[in-house]
Amino acid sequence: MIRFEHVGKRYGGRFEALANIDFSIRRGEMVFLTGHSGAGKSSLLRLLMRLERPSRGRILVAGHDIDRLHSSQIPFYRRQIGVVFQNHQLLFDRDVFANVALPLQIQGVEPHEAARRVRAALDKVGLLHREKALPIELSGGEQQRIGIARAVVNKPALLLADEPTGNLDPQLSADIMRLFEDFNRIGTTIMIASHDLALIARLHHRVLRLREGRLIGDENSVEEMS
Amino acid sequence: MSAADPHRSQPRQTGSQHGARSRRTRFGSRVRAWGRHHGAMARDSAHRLIRRPLGSLVTMLAIGIALVLPSALWLILDSARLLETELDESASLTVYLEATVGEREAMTVANTLREHPEVAGVRLVTAAEGMAEFQQALGLDDALARLEENPLPASVVVSPLETSPEAVRDLAAQLEGVAGIDEVRLDLAWLERLSRLAELGQRLTLALGVLFGFGVLLIVGNTIRLSVESRRQEIEVITLIGATHAFVRRPFLYSGAWYGLGGGLLAWLLLGLGGQWLSVPVQALAQSYGAHFAVPRLGLQGSTVLLFSSTLLGWLGGWIAVNRHLKEIRPR
Repeated sequence: MIRFEHVGKRYGGRFEALANIDFSIRRGEMVFLTGHSGAGKSSLLRLLMRLERPSRGRILVAGHDIDRLHSSQIPFYRRQIGVVFQNHQLLFDRDVFANVALPLQIQGVEPHEAARRVRAALDKVGLLHREKALPIELSGGEQQRIGIARAVVNKPALLLADEPTGNLDPQLSADIMRLFEDFNRIGTTIMIASHDLALIARLHHRVLRLREGRLIGDENSVEEMS
Repeated sequence: MSAADPHRSQPRQTGSQHGARSRRTRFGSRVRAWGRHHGAMARDSAHRLIRRPLGSLVTMLAIGIALVLPSALWLILDSARLLETELDESASLTVYLEATVGEREAMTVANTLREHPEVAGVRLVTAAEGMAEFQQALGLDDALARLEENPLPASVVVSPLETSPEAVRDLAAQLEGVAGIDEVRLDLAWLERLSRLAELGQRLTLALGVLFGFGVLLIVGNTIRLSVESRRQEIEVITLIGATHAFVRRPFLYSGAWYGLGGGLLAWLLLGLGGQWLSVPVQALAQSYGAHFAVPRLGLQGSTVLLFSSTLLGWLGGWIAVNRHLKEIRPR
């Protein structure tokens, strides 16, 4: 599903954010990406979202070199990826329903069908009863779940999450992770950037470890983590 | 199950016999989705304007005021052009007879002139008639009545067959040789001056139109820039989840168009009110000259042109502003 081939990223010709990153993720895998802040997690996700282009190497997603995408194709590429942000990035000028419906509106899904899918996604994150609420009225955990509902509403094959539990307490964080595992079970490929090592250790998934822009670990077992 | 599960994929028509039809329906649904988004954005941007009525009104008023001046100038010029054609038709020569020529002789001269092959018609103005016209035109009854003798000569107004300046000038030269004629007065210079003046007016209107049109672009552009800035997060988010540039741009283009249309309507209103305000004194003034001159109004065509171009300018201003600022907004 995802293949990084000797990918490097430099900013301004000097700062090396990523160097020689080489890994691949199979379809349906759930992978954590860890490292201290500044280790390159966000840069890696930005490359995957095609917000930036690698300085070296190439990135294949579903067999396509995403560096070769024409700028007019990028929106259509992004529609196949669900993204969950640390600060959830909900729009506060519209209600929960409208927030979750946004990707479907962008894709031009018929309103009737869109409503059905939005409710299904809200149901999945357990917030169907809050569809008329404004995001400001929700708790942090609820806001993050709405963010997840928005990321999955158009059934993306790939789900990326950047510190999805960054601001949440351990209990809520565990709930969120369980939600991701549910989506993974149905076949969604998931990549989660997180520095919550304790939480990651409890969930037995593959972990990619970054330090100073280099991949220093690609582990499947929890024991190696600690 | 399927309704509750967001990940269950929709059944797809993949059979080859359905291929063409499904492609057609997919195209149809895309067109419908496009139309739906246009409708939604037109409504949404209108709502946004209505939600801040004062700010929107100020912007529209600025646009309206910017449009009033060139429109008014154009209206005045247009009515002046009507006046000019009337003047063209009456491109006549005034032939003043010698002061010694009596009334009967004057008739003879007029008849001679009428028979000239290049003359379309003549009108004799006797000394007395000339005096009467003069009095009426100037409203100086008393002062002129005190004159013991009529100082005006009799005159003949000659309408030439051909009204081109050269032909009229030729005719004038010929008529000057006729016995009893003192002077032939040509109003060509005045006509030429008027047409120069009209040209100047046209250029002035065009320059002002371009200048104020540019002003409208700036007003709309600045307003849209602020609204792009205030919706920066939304733009970033929808760009991240796959919105095309056209999709991002659309609400702002509609805002621009609404501002333009609103400004155009206000300009139209201001022109109407201004016309009303000026019509009484203008008519009175015209009447005092014995002329009929109504304050020009935008007809249906003029109104359509005004509203269409103001809407287009607003839309264009929105386009320029959004494109400039979309480049600056890169998702974090």
